[in-house]
Amino acid sequence: MTATPTFTINRRQILKLAAVFGATATLAACSGPSLGAGAGAAEASATDWTGIVPAKEITWWSNHPGTSKLIEEEIIKRFNVENPEITVNLVTAGANYDEIAQKFQAASGTNSVPDLVLASDVWWFRYMINGQILPLDDLAKHLEFDTADFNTTLYDDYTFTGNHWAIPYARSTPLFYYNKAVWAKAGLPDRAPKTWTEFDEWAPKIAVDGGVTPLGLGKGASWAAWWFCNMLWGQGGAYSDEWTMTLDTPEAIAAADYLQSLIYERKVATVAAVDQVADFGAGLTGCIMGSTGSLTGILKAATFEVGTGFLPEGPEGQACPTGGTGVAIASDRTPEQQLAAGMFLKFLTNSENTAYFSSNTGYMPVRTSARDGETMTKVYAEFPQFRTAVDQLETTRSQDWGRVFVPNGDKELTTALEKIMLQQTDPAEAFAVASVAIATSFDENVSAYL
Amino acid sequence: MTTIEDLQRGTDSAVAVAAPNGAGSATTVPARVFTPRKKKKPWKSWLLFLLFAGPNVALLIVFTYKPLLQSLYYSTLQWNLGSASAIPVGLGNYVTWFNDPGTVRVVTVTLIFTVATVGGGMVIGLLFAVLLNRKLHGRGAARTIVVAPYVLSGVAVGLLWLFVFDPNFGITAALLDAIGVASPPWYNDPHWALVMVIIVYLWKNVGYVALIYLAALQSVPRDLLEAASLDGASPVRAFRNIVLPLLGPTTFFLSITTLLSSLQSFDIIQAMTKGGPLEGTTTMMYQIYQEGFQAGRAGYSSAVATILFAVLLVVTLIQMKYVEKRVHY
Repeated sequence: MTATPTFTINRRQILKLAAVFGATATLAACSGPSLGAGAGAAEASATDWTGIVPAKEITWWSNHPGTSKLIEEEIIKRFNVENPEITVNLVTAGANYDEIAQKFQAASGTNSVPDLVLASDVWWFRYMINGQILPLDDLAKHLEFDTADFNTTLYDDYTFTGNHWAIPYARSTPLFYYNKAVWAKAGLPDRAPKTWTEFDEWAPKIAVDGGVTPLGLGKGASWAAWWFCNMLWGQGGAYSDEWTMTLDTPEAIAAADYLQSLIYERKVATVAAVDQVADFGAGLTGCIMGSTGSLTGILKAATFEVGTGFLPEGPEGQACPTGGTGVAIASDRTPEQQLAAGMFLKFLTNSENTAYFSSNTGYMPVRTSARDGETMTKVYAEFPQFRTAVDQLETTRSQDWGRVFVPNGDKELTTALEKIMLQQTDPAEAFAVASVAIATSFDENVSAYL
Repeated sequence: MTTIEDLQRGTDSAVAVAAPNGAGSATTVPARVFTPRKKKKPWKSWLLFLLFAGPNVALLIVFTYKPLLQSLYYSTLQWNLGSASAIPVGLGNYVTWFNDPGTVRVVTVTLIFTVATVGGGMVIGLLFAVLLNRKLHGRGAARTIVVAPYVLSGVAVGLLWLFVFDPNFGITAALLDAIGVASPPWYNDPHWALVMVIIVYLWKNVGYVALIYLAALQSVPRDLLEAASLDGASPVRAFRNIVLPLLGPTTFFLSITTLLSSLQSFDIIQAMTKGGPLEGTTTMMYQIYQEGFQAGRAGYSSAVATILFAVLLVVTLIQMKYVEKRVHY
């Protein structure tokens, strides 16, 4: 057995220790944010782009949505044919939008900031109020971006205070997927239910004759509060009206009551343990609301024929949120780098590359010309399910600020929805807790920066 | 008789030689200690110190102490991660944390997770160690199997067990189904989810405890056990009265190291539940990540980190001050 080391400390040692800590503390205080009121978004730059020569090398941080690494590399190669003087470094900066955002925010103020970064629907606003990204309108005008050709909802998703802060890139929406074999067994017409009322009529047949749980629901962050937009908006409710939470309205409560009744009263819906897409693919559920981004994967994995349709309408009509990611340009770069980044961004989202990217990944074609072009027409012929997703795009609307712009907004709403779905908590009670938390977070983390 | 205190009152060099020998052997040292020696030049020993300890100290300062103090400073700010400016709020973040209705849940989850993984890990680990210490057929293979999960990556382990616990397709569901029991809602009930991550954490880390205990068991003097057996002590009694006390220092060491790693565990939770459902597996460590990197509340997250650090410091100090005294060396 070894002896106990005796641990004593004298005055001199304490002084030495204090000196070391003091020196480290001084070191520590040298870095970090400056103090004062929130700096807020970057100002629309006064850069006169005409006299600027684009940089020779730029960096793009992506997580290659829809396993698109090879597609992105191919687009860079094509860009280099036209612009051999600009090198684009494609960096895998994370496995998903959150990981990219974490790195991008942590890199702030260092010289490791990329020139181009993916800015997903729940992150671009945060980048903006932190002053990390550039308002793009002036640059787009200088580079003659054809912005009128973008799908209006998708392009305007990135608008705040009259500026556009990102360009739509890998965009998706939720889509209704159903198992055609189950539908046939239940004697239902080969289409998605037009309304939730129609689904209610169909559900018992799906359960009894189809022999499966009619509807599979997904839980978890970045997901539950996204598809629930459909039920919420369909009832005429919303998470928030600009910055004011509106979860206490009768419409919002009605939407949550309806969701709860599907699970507990009518017992026609189940909350997936891990992945509702996998459960659907394995034939456990008759239908789900999934992302259009999962389309290719679902079609490949399912052993049955898969049908797609618009999300069912509520009493107030069609309601579908947009999702996915755009691309933004970092503010903390030289005008030369920003100009080169802008040139690449224009190329990346032109009609031809939009169609190329969409047809290979399953994301929405963000340009009208790409949507109606030859490449996509071929895709629709092969996968008619894809056409449904694209058609539904016309009915989409941008998300409520309370979910996507307030830190922890999505997390609080997810918790509320999980209480409603998993613990049968009274919706009014669950929503009240979330509303207070989101309002507090807005006061603490957003309003000071606006 | 010369005691260690006498030595400490002597010259610096006397202390330097005596201390490593420890209290137990103090009486045998004096003759050598007081041999007059030429005192080293102070700058020379400083140079030596810098040469040997310098790189390590520099790394510690840059990667441990500096971030620690920085985080302490950030905890007094209201700062959005990524923003170039921040607002000083003093102790505001701490006040918010202590008043947050969710804090009770986070602390409870942390406590349950820690007690279950540390306590459970020590008991199961000791049990494995005792079994593996016996002369059994295939002992080498069994030892490897028990220790192997410990060297695996936590994320890989989490992803693997994600499938094992799947209530529709998982092995646990199939096994339970065979005895006519329905699978618990591992992923949809916050309590079952916590049980699940505890099981996986234990599976991954029990090998470490077993390994250390096994090493300690092998250094238990055989003659003591033989003597006890001659005196008529049953194996259970010999284990309780001889082996367990001799394992004291090992248990003490394990209690500190496993407690520290349990309170800081992150990978399995991130891979399996992401703190859910209903934040039922959100420990303080996970909360730090979530607030800092998901919500971007860098100041608030730093405050939680500081509180966790203070807890760890206090617990470790208590262990060293009180538990160590009871350990028999």
